[in-house]
Amino acid sequence: MFKILVVEDNAELNRTVCAYLAQNGFEAIGAPCANDAYNEMYANMFDLIISDIMMPGIDGFEFAKTVRELNSDIPILFMTARDDFESKRRGFRLGIDDYMVKPIDLDELILRIDALLRRSRIARSRKLEVGALTLDMDEHSATLGGEDIPLTVREFNLLYKLLSYPKKTFTRTQLMEEFWDAESDSGPRVVDVYITKLRTKLAHCDDFEIQTVHGLGYKAVIK
Amino acid sequence: MRKLRDLGRLFMYLFIVAAFLTVNFLLFMHIENIRFAALITGANAVAMTLLLWFIDNHRRKKMIDEPVKKIQDGIDRVTAGDLTSRIDKKGVGNAYEYGSIIDGINKMTEELGSVETLRTDFISNVSHEMKTPISVLQNYATLLQSAGLEDNMRIEYAKKISAETHRLSALITNILKLNKLENQQIFPEKTRFDLAEQVCESMLEFEPRWEEKNLEIETDLDDGVFISADREMLGIVWSNLISNAVKFTPDGGKITLSVKKLGGSAVVSVTDTGCGMDEETIKSIFRKFYQGDTSHATEGNGLGLALVRRIVDIHSGSIDVRSEKNNGSTFAVTLPL
Repeated sequence: MFKILVVEDNAELNRTVCAYLAQNGFEAIGAPCANDAYNEMYANMFDLIISDIMMPGIDGFEFAKTVRELNSDIPILFMTARDDFESKRRGFRLGIDDYMVKPIDLDELILRIDALLRRSRIARSRKLEVGALTLDMDEHSATLGGEDIPLTVREFNLLYKLLSYPKKTFTRTQLMEEFWDAESDSGPRVVDVYITKLRTKLAHCDDFEIQTVHGLGYKAVIK
Repeated sequence: MRKLRDLGRLFMYLFIVAAFLTVNFLLFMHIENIRFAALITGANAVAMTLLLWFIDNHRRKKMIDEPVKKIQDGIDRVTAGDLTSRIDKKGVGNAYEYGSIIDGINKMTEELGSVETLRTDFISNVSHEMKTPISVLQNYATLLQSAGLEDNMRIEYAKKISAETHRLSALITNILKLNKLENQQIFPEKTRFDLAEQVCESMLEFEPRWEEKNLEIETDLDDGVFISADREMLGIVWSNLISNAVKFTPDGGKITLSVKKLGGSAVVSVTDTGCGMDEETIKSIFRKFYQGDTSHATEGNGLGLALVRRIVDIHSGSIDVRSEKNNGSTFAVTLPL
């Protein structure tokens, strides 16, 4: 069972979030402030942390920073009333993994926690499996039903990204910025070429497909 | 001080008159009558000076003191909070621009008055818009407390509470944003970025909703439309326009998104095949709390387009609306690059 730490100073909110997490098969422990959270973390191993930003004493930013210094892997999700871009930027720069603005939809929270845990599992094992396809991050190798599929580094990275976030659409520019260096002369359309190549190479794979989203970008859809 | 200045002026007149008479005296004097001539001239000088002084004081009273008093009283009334008071211009000439000053003050008071009316309207709108969902919440919470409630009813009531809190929260977010944009001095934080990319990313935020409604999406995006603007603010514009398009387009409809570079401007347009608007509605959509289609009233708060308008204004851009009842709408935003 996954263990989740909920750091939130409002007792009612903390209680309801924990209760909902428990209902959905997580073990949730609430802490009303950062110091209590540190104590909980000494006593328990958590798989994920949900934290508020505005709390008395140590605020969420400082808390996240400290946690990141101690543990670079644990997913941190900010749950806050602050919806300004500056707070988001500051949070993500400190290394948080997701950000939700209050009032949060508890069902959405569960979806996001699932996605975060899945990605953190992928990141830890450095392996991604979709049906018969296995991507190995260390060897940059792709195998489909035990058979090697030759992919260039860039093709591999693109595929890995799309499959790590199934059903999420990425624009060409987003993909470009991640996998091409800034000096590259090619425009975002070069991504199209790579996607075409990937589709050809994976023509035999029926477990997922890379869809074009109305001229906006691409997404992987697992069947 | 005032008395001293009056006295100063008195001496000035005396000096002018004395100089004038001295010239007279020198021109017309006869040696034998010198004493008499000097006396007459001296008396003349005093009389003329007093006359001039008197006329001038009267003129000052009419043309300066009275208008100044009127203006001061008027300003005092406005300061005390009476924004309906106006300064009467009757009997005030424009020799010293007092007429123009009074016109200006009256105009300013009128503007202050209309701002005050807007503010009062805004507050009553806000409290109405906030109290309605709160009473809905209260009612459902009361209903939930009834004994022996069936499960499906309980779930339905709880869902209503959930939906209503979302509405309330969206309303508060928009009120705060609008308040920030209207009441604080705005310095847009300008950066240079790819506009088409931002519009794309905004569009993708709504992917689950357009998939749910099975909408057809068409895009016509120029490459490399870079703009210097406040990225976060413009994000609010696109997400409001796209959200409206998704909201008002029926299942199976179509949304067309275009980003074009035209001369020194960028034009972003969002076209839907939704219910459209009549002329009256188009005129009002940018007003705060206005909702054209009451059947969709539960989905919005009537602040989105007011926000859009404000942000476009701050960026010295313009927004153009083309729509026909039952025939879809196009919102086109033009921004300087």
